[in-house]
Amino acid sequence: MTRLLEATHLTAAYQTGGVEVRAVDDVSVHIDEGEVLGVAGESGCGKSTLGAILSLTARAPLYVESGTLVIDGQSQDLAVGSRIPRTWRGSVVSLLPQGAMNSISPTLRVRTLVYDVMRAHNARISKNEALDRARDRLKELELPVRVLDAYPHQLSGGMKQRVVTIISTLLNPRLLIADEPTSALDVSSQKALIDMLKQMLEQKIMSGVVFVTHDLPVLRTVSDRIAVMYAGKIAEIGPAEEIATGPKHPYSAALLNSVLVPEPAFRKKRVRGIPGSPPNLANPPAGCRFHPRCGLVMPDCRTKEPPHVGDELTFSACFWSAQHPGEAVPADKAVPRHIDDPTELDLPAAGATPAHAATTEGANA
Amino acid sequence: MQFAKYIGRKVLWYLAALIVALLLNFILPRLVPGNPVDAIVSNMSRGGGATGEQMKAVYNNYMQQFGLDKPMWEQFLIYLSNLAHGNLGTSFAQYPASVNKLVGQALPWSIAIQLPAILVGWIVGNLLGAVAAFRGGWFDRGAFVGSLFASSMPYYCLAILLLYIVGVKLGVLPISGAYSFGLSPEPTLAFFGDAITYWWLPFWSLVIVFVGGQAVGMRSMSIYELGADYVNYGRGLGLRDNRIVRYIFRNAMLPQVTGLALSIGGIVGGALITELVFSYPGIGTTLFNAISQNDYPVIQAITLIITVAVLAANFLVEIAYGLIDPRIRAAQTGDR
Amino acid sequence: MKAINFTPRFWVAASLILFVLVVGVLGPFIVRTDPNAVIGGLYDAPSMNKLAMWLGTDNEGQSVLANLVNGIRTSLLVGLLAGIIAMVIGLIIGLVAGFQGGVVSDILMGITNIVLAIPSIVVVILLSVALNGRNAVILGFVIGITSWPWTARAVQAQSTSIRVREHIDVARLSGARWISILLWDILPYLLSYVAMAFVLQVSGAILTESALSMLGLGPSGETSLGTMLYWALAWGSVRTGAWWAFLPPTIMLTLVAFSLLLLQSSLDEVFNPRLRRGKLRKRPRGAATPVPAVASPQTLGSSPLIEAPGRAGRTAGASSSTVRDGGVA
Repeated sequence: MTRLLEATHLTAAYQTGGVEVRAVDDVSVHIDEGEVLGVAGESGCGKSTLGAILSLTARAPLYVESGTLVIDGQSQDLAVGSRIPRTWRGSVVSLLPQGAMNSISPTLRVRTLVYDVMRAHNARISKNEALDRARDRLKELELPVRVLDAYPHQLSGGMKQRVVTIISTLLNPRLLIADEPTSALDVSSQKALIDMLKQMLEQKIMSGVVFVTHDLPVLRTVSDRIAVMYAGKIAEIGPAEEIATGPKHPYSAALLNSVLVPEPAFRKKRVRGIPGSPPNLANPPAGCRFHPRCGLVMPDCRTKEPPHVGDELTFSACFWSAQHPGEAVPADKAVPRHIDDPTELDLPAAGATPAHAATTEGANA
Repeated sequence: MQFAKYIGRKVLWYLAALIVALLLNFILPRLVPGNPVDAIVSNMSRGGGATGEQMKAVYNNYMQQFGLDKPMWEQFLIYLSNLAHGNLGTSFAQYPASVNKLVGQALPWSIAIQLPAILVGWIVGNLLGAVAAFRGGWFDRGAFVGSLFASSMPYYCLAILLLYIVGVKLGVLPISGAYSFGLSPEPTLAFFGDAITYWWLPFWSLVIVFVGGQAVGMRSMSIYELGADYVNYGRGLGLRDNRIVRYIFRNAMLPQVTGLALSIGGIVGGALITELVFSYPGIGTTLFNAISQNDYPVIQAITLIITVAVLAANFLVEIAYGLIDPRIRAAQTGDR
Repeated sequence: MKAINFTPRFWVAASLILFVLVVGVLGPFIVRTDPNAVIGGLYDAPSMNKLAMWLGTDNEGQSVLANLVNGIRTSLLVGLLAGIIAMVIGLIIGLVAGFQGGVVSDILMGITNIVLAIPSIVVVILLSVALNGRNAVILGFVIGITSWPWTARAVQAQSTSIRVREHIDVARLSGARWISILLWDILPYLLSYVAMAFVLQVSGAILTESALSMLGLGPSGETSLGTMLYWALAWGSVRTGAWWAFLPPTIMLTLVAFSLLLLQSSLDEVFNPRLRRGKLRKRPRGAATPVPAVASPQTLGSSPLIEAPGRAGRTAGASSSTVRDGGVA
């Protein structure tokens, strides 16, 4: 498989009122041609920030401190101050936001936005050409052509999301960054959207997708590989099935444990929340950032950065993994029954009622 | 069609408001203790000069015109029928001048200072507000506090200050009236050149307040729109900044357009006190004189004209809004 | 409850208002001169010899300073009275309409919309003309009963939206009577809004009073900031350069209006933190939408029957999200 994208050493921070919060800290991702990379994690883990960096839409108060994007052999520095060509956005990488929000200006018809987008990348395109292209695309994907004449409020949630998806991919971007596209949708609309994304990948409308969501079951059906993020770093990345069935990082295991899976094989599993809450990124814990909540914590975890065990496409950043290569984390040991050092947690009561203290977003979905 | 229903409903509401306004206008001056005609006639006789015969004629004329000897509901019908014929009645104080004539003389002066002030203030204020929102930083801070101050300043206070500083202290512009003594309004360049020197001060006193008010509104609308999701998405699609700004502007503008139309509707009663300060011969000065002379027909006529203008502007704005903003249309007609 | 984070703007506004209040409330006790006593000639210039002469005399030879402190007191009285009346009427009508729904609501809001459509200055002028023997209290009433519709409509809109929230259902299911739901479960949510609206009502009423006074419809036999300006204009103090007669009331009126507006906008910032520039939280998605500042009731006849279009649409859009991908901080 050929490599589609290499994004290396991405670091970005929110600067608010003199406080710097590093939401993504030295993260590198690699994506192959035709691949869907899922990004999972609790809220505030930096997954949406990663999406913003990759889709080149970071804006104040978010500042990219460092990072390089290599796509199709073209290299682009992402750090603040570097000039990113405007036309990269939309045609090289494209953003697919959550369509339930006001992603389309409420006083704009869909076709106006379509024409504006096409025109922004090809000044000579005529209105008819632009709309014809959109019509063809709609027909290909079996959507009614009349949505072009609609205002956003006239579309249902699911339809709006699919329309936004089509607008995001009008210019055949190499990489699509989908940020929680299914989160506000009902189950059947979710399925329709995922089917549509897969169809688009098959038709090579885009060559790769980064799919950011907190919804693990959705992620499992849509992704080829999954990256699990924790506190601004990638804890584990690997093939979707491997992560889902045999996570090698205690955090991935804990996250999976907190989700109900409607499959017979998992029916006996106990659902547990992860005690404690994600660390304050303005002042992250030393060493492995998960160590205060980890059931397999060892002395090195508290002081040293964990090693990346594996290659750039599949790795786990964990001392335990380093000691147990190739082994999955025992699900019942990923998080402690009782937390030995509650002072390190944000919520003082977390140790007392672990199940309620911090249910993950995944459990809510 | 749904939209026709929407318009129909609005028409009914405004008709109801108009009827209530007419009733208020009709009843309130009649609540004054005593018969206003008695009061005015005795006033005239005290002034002397008029013979008993003349007084009697005047008295009968008024009684007939207002139908004061008839029951209330009949008086109201007479009032309505007079209005329907465009007849606002006869002035008490300047008998036998018709109210139509008095108001007709004053209205152009009021419009002359207000319409330009509203238009200029609206354009400049919106630009200032939008630029402040986009640029942020010190420019924004300064423009915001300045605009807030200008808009919160009672317009007549600013008028008094301008009159004192520019008119009296610096003495560069005339301080009272609308044109020089000895001239009479006529469409000549000489008259125009003279009148414009009287026009500047009232105009500026209004423009500054308008600019402030519009800028404050536009700024907060723009800041709100800047954070909208479609701005981020537009950037993500590689749209040019000026295209996105256009989207923002369009959404932020809608309420501002309403404001413009409503200000124009309020033109008759919008600057009553400004005219007083500058002794400008507009509606405000006419109202002031009428109040001091208990000239009820003139007071009634002016309040009525103010009300009708405001109601008409509001009505038109609602219809236009229904046409422009698809969301309103949807909300009103229940369309999905 | 967390401490409210007041901005510097709030403190500036609060100190200005405090200053005006002190002058209006304590002033008359310090300047003991009777505002109606003749202590000099026509427009005597200020002199520092006597407290009462600090701001000279007016057209009747009365002390301007004594008139000013008493005038402020009258104007504040009118403003507060009108503000309270408008707020009480507006709250009652708005709450009942918003909470009851159905026919009651339709009738109340119908009345509100009609009253809102008629410019209030017109009603105030007509009422004042009809009333003989006006004094400050009567003027306060007149202004108050013409300026409630703004509050009523906004309260109705807000309480309608609160009514459908879950905690109201819980209260209802637990057998609470509607009056206690109204007072304990709905009213607290409206307080921030009502506070801001009240501030604007007071400032609007003070300005309306002075406009009325300048038209010759002010309180008879009492001094207010408006009547001071009325006499100052009528006797040509501006033209003759007697600045001490017209500048003090002008400045005080401006100060009152500015500081109250500043207070309102700083309260808005406290209640809607998103309005603060440069302090945006990360991706404020699910966050409550700031409804741009309370529509000003003092604007002559602005947008009565219009259902604040853009804003309503946006509020609905923003709150429909269940996802809170909230702040890292």
